[in-house]
Amino acid sequence: MLTLEHDRLVVRFPEVHADAHCTIEFQRTLRIPDDNRVHGLPPGLGTFPLFHVDDYASKLPAHWAGHGGVFLPMYQAEAMWIRFSSRYPFAVKIATGKINAVSGEAWTPQLQSTAHLGANDRSGYMQSISSLQQTSTKGAQDYVTIPDQPWLDGFNVGNGQIRQFVAMPLGDGYTVEEQITGKAIHGGLQLIVYPLDPRYYTPPRAVTRGFLGGLSNGYPGDMMIASASYACSNSLSLNASAESAQMGLAPGGLMKQEVFADRHGISKWDQSHSAKCFVHLLNSQQFEQVTGRRPPTEAPTAANYTRAGLPWYDYYAENLRAVPGSEKLRKLDSVAALGNKKGAQPLPENAPVGAVNTIMLSKKAPNEVRDGFF
Amino acid sequence: MTHFGSFLRETREALQASEGRSFSLRQVAARVGIEPAYLSKIERGEVPPPSEATIARLADVLRQDSDLLLGLAGKVSSELQDIILKRPQLFASLLRELKDAPEHAILNVVREVRDGQW
Repeated sequence: MLTLEHDRLVVRFPEVHADAHCTIEFQRTLRIPDDNRVHGLPPGLGTFPLFHVDDYASKLPAHWAGHGGVFLPMYQAEAMWIRFSSRYPFAVKIATGKINAVSGEAWTPQLQSTAHLGANDRSGYMQSISSLQQTSTKGAQDYVTIPDQPWLDGFNVGNGQIRQFVAMPLGDGYTVEEQITGKAIHGGLQLIVYPLDPRYYTPPRAVTRGFLGGLSNGYPGDMMIASASYACSNSLSLNASAESAQMGLAPGGLMKQEVFADRHGISKWDQSHSAKCFVHLLNSQQFEQVTGRRPPTEAPTAANYTRAGLPWYDYYAENLRAVPGSEKLRKLDSVAALGNKKGAQPLPENAPVGAVNTIMLSKKAPNEVRDGFF
Repeated sequence: MTHFGSFLRETREALQASEGRSFSLRQVAARVGIEPAYLSKIERGEVPPPSEATIARLADVLRQDSDLLLGLAGKVSSELQDIILKRPQLFASLLRELKDAPEHAILNVVREVRDGQW
């Protein structure tokens, strides 16, 4: 079952195992410079507020009610990352505009993987990612596994890199969906979650029972934003379709992040149990009109954040191998690159960042700092 | 030692054992925004449980559900109080109806995110 609690999606399969629950949340963050340099992990600035589509169906695009699910507000050119928390293993497929964010292929609900790693494959599994093929062929693993994958910040383009999820109005041509299919139909973000077959589950040694609780009052990142001398221009070069309430995700700047290979093997996932959700992205400009609430303030620019001395992050997970990047996703234009081709300025600013203060996170406690309060 | 305090201490020490010094008394207190001595007293039950906001921060740092920690502290979150007070008869009746129900029956009345066609 899938519920919405404290702005988090909570997936539970009590019929599979008492521990089979996980949370998925959508973190507000900085948009990293879209300049073809490879950047570190930006911070979490608090979760985006989430709402049931059904509660505001009459004010939302008509077809959203047919999708069901939830929605959250995003500004044009705002970035996000997805945080996963669980101790029970899950496989999660993620798509934007019904294009898989790991493989670049069209959405299918079933998990796909050409090769999986059993106990006999350990030596292969341990090999350095540098010796692996860097872009995938059709049929490669098209999902992430948690808790190995603590977060996903963007589209899997290979070489241990992703291109950041950046919201753009559906219809302007920047989203991955539009660049791959030539059509602006779905937008938003789609998820399906499968639990591990409980026969293969070994509870972790440390007993830290329960799923993640958290703070849900206000927008925590706002505190930090005030101290980071926030300044962001609203003078975007928009065309008429910016009136659209519907947003999709487009490829932004390059970030160092790996999509980790499934160390369980595809046959170990219980694909007879699943929970899926359509996460709609509502343009923040329409958010107050729909909900009567103010949207979160805009995130600080990466340059201002860095100038304020606030930290960036790096993540190191030994013994985890990365899946190859998607050739289809790698070939797409980033928002800035496509803007140049169109003679437009889709990003309100894209200033480079200077020297950054980087904090190394480990696999042991990936979420401990990155989503902190500043 | 109160159950609330002992639960906090056991949880923190389990995290410290598995994940190291970032879950020391001092570091947890720093992330929660309270003095280490105060956290120590809370864990030993020498002072009453802290405010709702502090309990919520403790829950976040110790990766626990805030409603669970509030319950152990003998509190109900102000958010839940507001929900009940908006429709007191309805929720009083609902809670009485469900008080002895097994967990799976209660989960059946929890609102799920509706999935449609896409």
